[in-house]
Amino acid sequence: MPKRKLDPLPSTAFQILLSLAGNDLHGYGIMRAVEEQTNGRMRLGPGTLYSSIQALLEEGMIEEVEGGDESEAGHERRRYYRLTMSGKRLARSEAERLADLLRVARIKRIFRGEYV
Amino acid sequence: MFEKLFACLLCLYPPRFRRKYAGEILQLYRDRVRDETGLFRRVRLCFDLLADGVTGLPQAYRNSHSAMAAVVVSSNPEGIPSFRILQQEPLRSGSVLIGCFLSLAAIATFSFVISHPKAYRQFSKGAMSPIESVLDRLNRATSTGSIQEARVASPGAESKPAAPSVASIDRKLDPVERDRVIHAVAQNLNRFYVDSQRARSASALILKKAESGDYESFADGQAFAARLTSDLRSATQDPHVEVAYSTIPLPNTAGEPTVAALAEYRSAMLQQNCTFEKIEVLADNIGYLKFDSFPDPAICSSIAKAAMARLNGTDAIIFDLRDNMGGYPGMVEEIAAPLFDHPAPWYNPKEPSGAASSIHSPVPGSRLANKAAYILTSSRTFSGAEQFAYNLKMLKRATLVGETTGGGAHVGIFHRLDDHFGIGIPETPITNPYGGPDWEGIGVHPDVIVRSKDALVVAEKLARNSLHK
Repeated sequence: MPKRKLDPLPSTAFQILLSLAGNDLHGYGIMRAVEEQTNGRMRLGPGTLYSSIQALLEEGMIEEVEGGDESEAGHERRRYYRLTMSGKRLARSEAERLADLLRVARIKRIFRGEYV
Repeated sequence: MFEKLFACLLCLYPPRFRRKYAGEILQLYRDRVRDETGLFRRVRLCFDLLADGVTGLPQAYRNSHSAMAAVVVSSNPEGIPSFRILQQEPLRSGSVLIGCFLSLAAIATFSFVISHPKAYRQFSKGAMSPIESVLDRLNRATSTGSIQEARVASPGAESKPAAPSVASIDRKLDPVERDRVIHAVAQNLNRFYVDSQRARSASALILKKAESGDYESFADGQAFAARLTSDLRSATQDPHVEVAYSTIPLPNTAGEPTVAALAEYRSAMLQQNCTFEKIEVLADNIGYLKFDSFPDPAICSSIAKAAMARLNGTDAIIFDLRDNMGGYPGMVEEIAAPLFDHPAPWYNPKEPSGAASSIHSPVPGSRLANKAAYILTSSRTFSGAEQFAYNLKMLKRATLVGETTGGGAHVGIFHRLDDHFGIGIPETPITNPYGGPDWEGIGVHPDVIVRSKDALVVAEKLARNSLHK
């Protein structure tokens, strides 16, 4: 049995799923969204980004869609990506797993202060 | 320029990945170059791209591998073996070139290996005459193409000279060596030859010819030895006198081989199944045995007996001696013995004079005594193999099919004359129970003359016809 690419879910893939939770994005848009939602801590390089996109596509977590803003001059037609229902479930499940971890961390008083 | 460099780096990614995402990746690069201006951001961009190469590249290959494995597993749930095309893409020209190169290298290696077969290693141990053992060692030392060069020179060789090798061309005889060899031949002949009167007349003949300058034109050792052999044979009327020439210096020591050499011989024989190449029962229950020497019975007797036992139930038997270069007289007799139901007279030119010997037949349990026998011969069939063919022909026990054999009885005792010349001298009278000359110098003539490569087909046909009569 081959190892599934998204089990466990890599943080890169999770960030991509999160970035697509609001709207459809192309590759560069995903990179910017991830950078933004991680406060600049994660800047996905092209190889890492598209490898993760490829894995998510093949696992049916995201899908390619037509459309988006094609009016940018000099730009090729871009591929946009959209979260699928499976992708949403996977993102939710991962978020719940992290929430559980967060709860444990709170109980264990890992955090200093009350900012979380 | 940086974009071109980056595009080149994309070649490192798996083809399927590259084909699908190369355009988007370049677009992303352009977007970042456009948006990330200033020294700090540009440096950061370069760093990001380098780091991405380190992390993204393995990930891309991991994904490709996982995708292929998933296809294989998912498409074959019942475990039935099948072939699938994992990637529908043409082979890259580089892959095709590498494939062609490797194939050519494999073919060239294979051709080289099959055209340079490892010669069977035969060693002497008393049963082989010293001349045979020396020549055998020389034959092993020289390449296949120059075997003739190391063999005993004979009148036949003179009339059909072997192609001169580079070594024989390079080495020219000088008058001093010619004179030394002639006098050594005369001296050894007078001292050792079985008939002193004929020895004296032969010696006188070559010395006289030397004085009259008959040998002065010989600069090639092979031709010179052949001429001396011819003159000695005509003077003695004995085909077993032989002058040998070798481009490789002859060994100084003679006699019994060392323990190490014997151990090497034993190991080589066992490794090569005692040179028994094929044992088959052909259609119509015709037995076929191909063996390329008559190995030492002390080592190979059990294997020889097993081979003959395997063919004991056949209705006819074919012995393939086309590549057999001889060996031990004891083994020659051992393989022939099951073919007789009585002790027939057996010629062994290496036995002491006057010993009229008989073959040790019948062999208990043998059912081959009344079965038709055929022997395949070629011009390579030599020495002990010729004894086998000659004796069975003389006894009308086998039909010989193929070509006239090489013609080497190797009866004489070998005497070293100098570094490159030797002489084989019969020192005791030779008794041939069948009368007439043996095969020395003339070979054994087959009953059915065909090209050696066709001999098996013809012999099979003859055997089948005789069985269906």
